[in-house]
Parts: sequence; C-alpha cells; structure tokens
Amino acid sequence: MAIAATPLRPESSPSLGRNIVTIRGVRKYFPIKEGVLQRVTGHVRAVDGVSFDIPRGETVGLVGESGCGKTTLGRCISGLLPPTEGGIYFGLDDEAHRRLDDLLRMPAGSRTPEQDRKLDELAARYRIDAMPKERWKAYRRNCQVVFQDAFSSLNPRQLVKDIVGRPLRVYKEAFGRDLNARVIELLDDVGLGEQHLYRYPHQFSGGQRQRISLARALALEPDFIVLDEPTSALDVSVQAQILNLLHRLQQEHGLTYLFITHDLNVVRHMSDRIVVMYLGKVCEAGPAQQVFDHPRHPYTEALIAADPGRHGDRRVDLRLMGPIPDPARPPQGCRFHTRCPVSTKWCGWEVDDVVRQLESAGRTLEGLTGVERRSEFSADLRFQTEEQAEGLISALRSAAVPEAMRAALIDLRRNGNEVVLRFEPVDEVRLESIEPEHETACVLHTSQYPQVRGE
Amino acid sequence: MTATVPLLSVDNLAVHFATKRGVLHAVDGVSLNIGEAETLGLVGETGSGKSVTARSLLRLVPTPPGVYAEGRVFFRPRVLCSTCGGTGCATCGGIGRIPAPCPACSGAGCPACESSGRETLDLLRVPERKLRDIRGNRIAMIFQDPGKALNPALSVRQQIAEVFAEHRSQELLEAAGADGDSSSGAGVLMRRAARGRSRLVERRVLDIPPFRSRYARLRGGLDDRIAEALKATRIPNPRKVMNSYPHELSGGMKQRVMIAQALACDPDLLIADEPTTALDVTIQARILDLIDELQEKHHTAVLYISHDLSLVRRISDRVAVMYGGKLAEVASTAQLFDDPLHPYTKALLSAIPSRGQRRGELVAIEGAVPEFIAPKACCRFHTRCPFAGPLCSSKDPALLERGREGHHAACFLYDSPDDVDAAPDLMPSWQGKRV
Repeated sequence: MAIAATPLRPESSPSLGRNIVTIRGVRKYFPIKEGVLQRVTGHVRAVDGVSFDIPRGETVGLVGESGCGKTTLGRCISGLLPPTEGGIYFGLDDEAHRRLDDLLRMPAGSRTPEQDRKLDELAARYRIDAMPKERWKAYRRNCQVVFQDAFSSLNPRQLVKDIVGRPLRVYKEAFGRDLNARVIELLDDVGLGEQHLYRYPHQFSGGQRQRISLARALALEPDFIVLDEPTSALDVSVQAQILNLLHRLQQEHGLTYLFITHDLNVVRHMSDRIVVMYLGKVCEAGPAQQVFDHPRHPYTEALIAADPGRHGDRRVDLRLMGPIPDPARPPQGCRFHTRCPVSTKWCGWEVDDVVRQLESAGRTLEGLTGVERRSEFSADLRFQTEEQAEGLISALRSAAVPEAMRAALIDLRRNGNEVVLRFEPVDEVRLESIEPEHETACVLHTSQYPQVRGE
Repeated sequence: MTATVPLLSVDNLAVHFATKRGVLHAVDGVSLNIGEAETLGLVGETGSGKSVTARSLLRLVPTPPGVYAEGRVFFRPRVLCSTCGGTGCATCGGIGRIPAPCPACSGAGCPACESSGRETLDLLRVPERKLRDIRGNRIAMIFQDPGKALNPALSVRQQIAEVFAEHRSQELLEAAGADGDSSSGAGVLMRRAARGRSRLVERRVLDIPPFRSRYARLRGGLDDRIAEALKATRIPNPRKVMNSYPHELSGGMKQRVMIAQALACDPDLLIADEPTTALDVTIQARILDLIDELQEKHHTAVLYISHDLSLVRRISDRVAVMYGGKLAEVASTAQLFDDPLHPYTKALLSAIPSRGQRRGELVAIEGAVPEFIAPKACCRFHTRCPFAGPLCSSKDPALLERGREGHHAACFLYDSPDDVDAAPDLMPSWQGKRV
C-alpha cells in the first residue's frame, strides 16, 4: 500500500535528548472579571509554578482531584493554551537541558545580561511559544491530544473517514485513494476496520469512539500524546481494552505519553513516573512504584487510602476534611495544610484559616465588623462586643481548630473589642529531592524546616 | 417480627422498550430480594439494564416507549413503632420502625400477604396515588449526576421543602400548632402552605398579621427540618447552604444535598444509582462512609448500582452481576470476589488494573454488550464468552445455586449434560482458555 512521505521530524539528529518535553515554572492564571467594565478583580491560579520532565518513550502519569489544574496543564503542554508564565521546552538535547536548568536555577533578578541573553536564545529555539514557526508546526504535529469526552471531541456531522483523515489532509500528507488507504490502516491499528469508514460518531459505543480519537491522534505519527482522562468515561472491561491498546501502540510506535487521570489503579498500571498535583502545584513526583509503595506526601497517601479497591490494607486512615480551598486565594505555605491530617505549625497557617476552620467546625464569626490585615499571617479582627471577641479567642484555643494551628499562633489577645492575631510567618514549601528522582513538597520529609523533625 | 420475608422482592421482572428496530429487552426476567438493612450491589456494564431495573422499582421508566412486560415487585413497607413512636424501644429493637401489618388480615397471615402478615404492595400495579406516597417517602433514590438531578432554578431549601411538603405536611401543621382550625379559611391556607401549594396571592395573605405568626412558625419548623436533614449528611453550615442554588455548590456538596433529600423521610429502601461516578476518589470515600453511617443509624436497605466492582466490594453485603438484562451471578460479597463462578464475573474482576499485572496484559472482554432486540433463548454472554459451547447459544441457563449456599450463577459450565438434557459435546468447557 502506498504510503505518503515519512513525516518530518524536528532535528532527527543523533543527539536526541533524554526528555522529549521539559516543563519549567509553568503558571496559568485565569482572570476573574467583575462589574460592567469587566475589571479584573483577581486570578484563578489554575497552574502555579509546575516543573517536571517527560522522558522519551515513557509514560508520565499526572494525578489529582478535579480542579487541581491537571487538565489545564495538559492543555498548556499541548499548546492549546498559552501559559501565563514559564515555558514548555521541546526537543532539548541533554546539553541544552543542563544549560537551561543552570540558568533557571538562579533567581530572575540575579542573572547577568549575558545569562539573560543565553536564556532568551534557548527559549527562541526550544520554548514552544517562542520557537520559529517551522519548529512550532513540527511540535504541533508531534504532540497530539486525546480528550476525555469522546462524545464531544468528535464532530457529529463528519464521517469517521473525514475525522481520521483530517490531520493528513491539513498537513498535505495524503489525498484521494491514498488517504483512504492510510485511514483504513490507522483504523486497523486501533482495532476498527474498513467497515467503519462511512459511519458517524453517534453510531459507535464509548470505547469505539475513544479508538477513533486515538486513530486521529496517531495519523501524523507523533512522538508524544497527551491523554486527558482517556478511559474515565468507560466501563472497566472496555477500559482494559483501551489500556491494552495504548500499551501496544506505545510499543509499536515508540510513543511517549502524558497520562492525565484521577484513577489511581489506572495510573499505577500505566505509568513509569507519577506527578501528583494539588491546587495547581506539584506535591510529589517520582517513579510510579516508589510513589505508590512509599508515598512521601500526606496528600498522596490520602489519595491512595481513598481508593475503594484497597480496603483492608489501610495503613493510615486518612480522611481529608473540608473542601478544596478556592484556587483564587490559595493557602500559604503548603497548599494542602488546610485538609492535612498530619499538619505541623510550619505548614503555613494564616489569617484565612481562622474562617476556613471555624466554618467547617460549624461556627460562624458572629458580630465581625471589620478586618485589618497587616499581612497574610497577621490581622486585627474587630467585633461589635467584647464578648464576641472573647468568644473567638476561646474558640481558637479550643479543639475546634487543629492543634498545629494553635501551635502556629504566636500572638492571640484581645484589645478592647478587637482580636489581635499573629501566626508564625513561613515561606512557600519547596519541592525537594529526597531520594534519586523522587521529589516531595512536604515539610515532614524535606529539609526546609529542620525544626519539624526535631519536635 | 417476621424477618423471614424480604423488604423488597423482585419476581421475574421484564421491561421492554418499543424501538424502530423491534422490541428491546432491556430487563428480561430479573429476580432479586433485598432484606431489611441489607446493601445489595448491582453491577454491570453500560447497557446491561441495571439502571432500568432500579427505575422500574419506582415505576419511573416512561411508558411508552417502555413496557412493563412481566413480573412483580413486592414491597413490604415499615411503619413507625406503635410502642415508642419512632424513638427506639425493645419492641422494635431500637430501630423505631416495625413492619406494617397486612390491612386485610392485620398480621394473621392471608393469601394477599402470602401468609407473611405484612402489608405487601405490588409496585408495578399499585395506583399512581399510592405510589406517590411511596416515592421519596418509603423508597428514595439518589441519581447519578447530582448536577442534572437537582433543579437549577430552585434553592436547596425549596428542593428539600418539596419532600416534606409532599410527605410530612400533617406533622408540620401539628408542629406549628395550626391543626385545630381546619375548617376556617386560615386553616385551608395553612394546609395549602404546608403542602407547598400556596400561590403568590396566598403567600401575601399569609403575611397579614393575623396569619403571620402561625405561618412563621410553620416556616420555622420546616427550616429546622431542612437544616436537620442537611446536617445529617455533615454539610457544614446547613443554614447557609440552604439558601444557595445548586450551581454554587461543589459536586460533593450537591451529592450530599441529594442524599439529604433522599433520606429526609427516613425511607425503608434507598436506591443509589451510581452516586459517586461523577466525584473524585477522596470525595467518593466520604460519600460512601456517609451512606454506611446513615444506613447503620436508620436501618435502611440500600440497592447500590455501580459499574465499579471495587466500590461495590467496599459497600455491599451481597452482589448481583447483571449482563444483557439478566442476572449472571448473585452471591455474598466475599463469595463473589473470592471465588467468582460466572465467566463474565471472572472477566470483569480481572479487567481491573491491579498491582503486579504486566502492562498491556489486562484481560479485556473483547467486543461490547450487544443489543438484545427480540433475543432468542440463549446465554446472553455467549458471544463474548471464551468457554461457550453450542448449547450456550440455543438455551437459556437458569440462575441456580451452585456449590455453596446463597451463591447463584447462570452458567452451563456447572451443569452436567444430564441436568440440561444435552449431548456432552454441546456443553461449554473450561479447556484451553484462560481468564
């Protein structure tokens, strides 16, 4: 069967780097607009400073609850959304990767003009939003996406033949009879056949539709596919078919996957490396087996413990309390501290937590008339009467708030009908390597606050 | 206590749909029992008929296109304990509820109640008005997608108030002390208000001073009940949540509101149709804990429908596996998961990715659930079953007890050729294939 020219690969030089895609400090903020003038009143920090590498030929699993920014990050990586800050670097060879990391390690202000120029040079060559048009086109065809909802990601008015053949036509890879032959080959590859060419998406089941999405993604022979919850709408038996298919395709085509999902069973089965996200930040990253066997972040532990398939061998009974905080005002320190069952006084307790904790304990701040905020960690709360102020103070000293929060309060007193609050100020918790390749952002395991382990 | 008869027994239920291509047998001869305070898990793939089964228990399948072709659904409701009035005593075993006696024989046992002495209703045949009394009151349902099942135009208070207005209006009136003057105009207005039937003009009238205080008491009592129902599902700040609209709540909170609504009248049976499919694992774990806990407290029976086997394992006492409108296997949870009998159950269990399985070697069931339009007698699974023999495509296997007590499976693999009158070479066999 005649196949059109082999697709063009970017720099298929012998010095292919170890990592196909490198993500450095990516932030994506969505503005919150209010009023008639649509004034920007704040930002939802969907992704807030994420860095990791996607090694060639491997599967990286991206896990987290809904709203943690995993889909937004996937969209940034596939070039569907421009990141607000930071960059996605594609095709870095090992030498350039090392240089980039050396330059980025320095704080932005302390770089010399020479170093800034070098960084810009690297960006102009490798960063997907700054690279030349030719390379950008190459990236677009080398990075394909399979979406979660195969019902809405396939055009209901197009035939399968047109859906799968579309990328080939756009990139002028094949026409006419050639195109048909290619489409049939692609359909064969994903377990469908010639008989499905002239059908519409609604004539297929969920699993078959996901196969069509995959065939479309494979049309241009990409190196890298972003799989955004490809099986979460499917039954287990069909999910098993698709997972087997994904594995076979990876073996046959040498694909790299970014597997975005909230299903831990699936991610453990499919991934070589795992990145766990919470509220726009990475809280743990490492080799899949290691993260599952020895999780080093309470959030990962809680996720694993919440999996209903694991009943019986629960080491720690971790119940996450309270709702996910508003990503427009993420908590200080460690973002997970508001729900963390093993939080310490170094985890970033702040003024907002007073409201969060008392609300989840079923109390309200009665008679509160004003708040004067000096910083995130210090404020004066004004009440109508002295009794109400006294009530807050006794609530903050009681078991209605976590012990760690009480420990973090370095000043709590009443001044007339005002309550003066001051928490221990802490820095944002850093993602640190604790074992080779295994990173965590939890003060219990990193060296950021050595005092924690002394206690 | 007549504990021997189950709370709900489904007998040979068949629900068909008239389609352009013929009669679709969505549910085809399902028999189930749910005991009091028992959790039955109903598992199956998309299109296996599990949701239709659940909905037909409350006659929620629209007819047409649906047809209740066959079968009966016997439901034996409970009533408040006459000795203690629902607070829990020795007579009712602390539950506060006792089985309702049969109205025909008042508990002595007659043909109408099959000598059980309990009131027995055939839910497929009771009049619509009686069914309204049962829906949301004695049998409640939690739907899959809380985003769609809650009315976006009504506040949480209004949605839960509907349940109380429908089923508890008398109690509300008594609590508000407005029951005495039933003949007066004010009494009529109050009754209508308690049942949620007031119009705008009537509400204006009720705001006039002579009526205002009683109406305020009524509303206050209603609000207390709503807040209590919400609090039972551990919603923080129920008074605040009450006034919000569904779009202001997160998925987990919406599902809690649904549960609060379903449990508001302390039902005997709760039908949960994939209540956690749309939720995250961490939220899911808490919703499951909540259902567990509320079941413990109220001794509610639960029919838990899911396609997720690991979830069903966590929550159920017994599990029924459904395929193509028929039951493939029914067993206690431990039996089913430790030693599944039916090839379909085995295949489903091994399709879950688990520790130690090599990548790309998951046991998938090839193909999809076929549509059963006017099916002939056959094992529904024979088209995808690796062990199927010629007999499987020509005869319907019966759901029989195999091996252990209470472990039922519908599969010829456990029959000897003599049992089913077939030549030995027609039988399915385990040989040469793996699951």
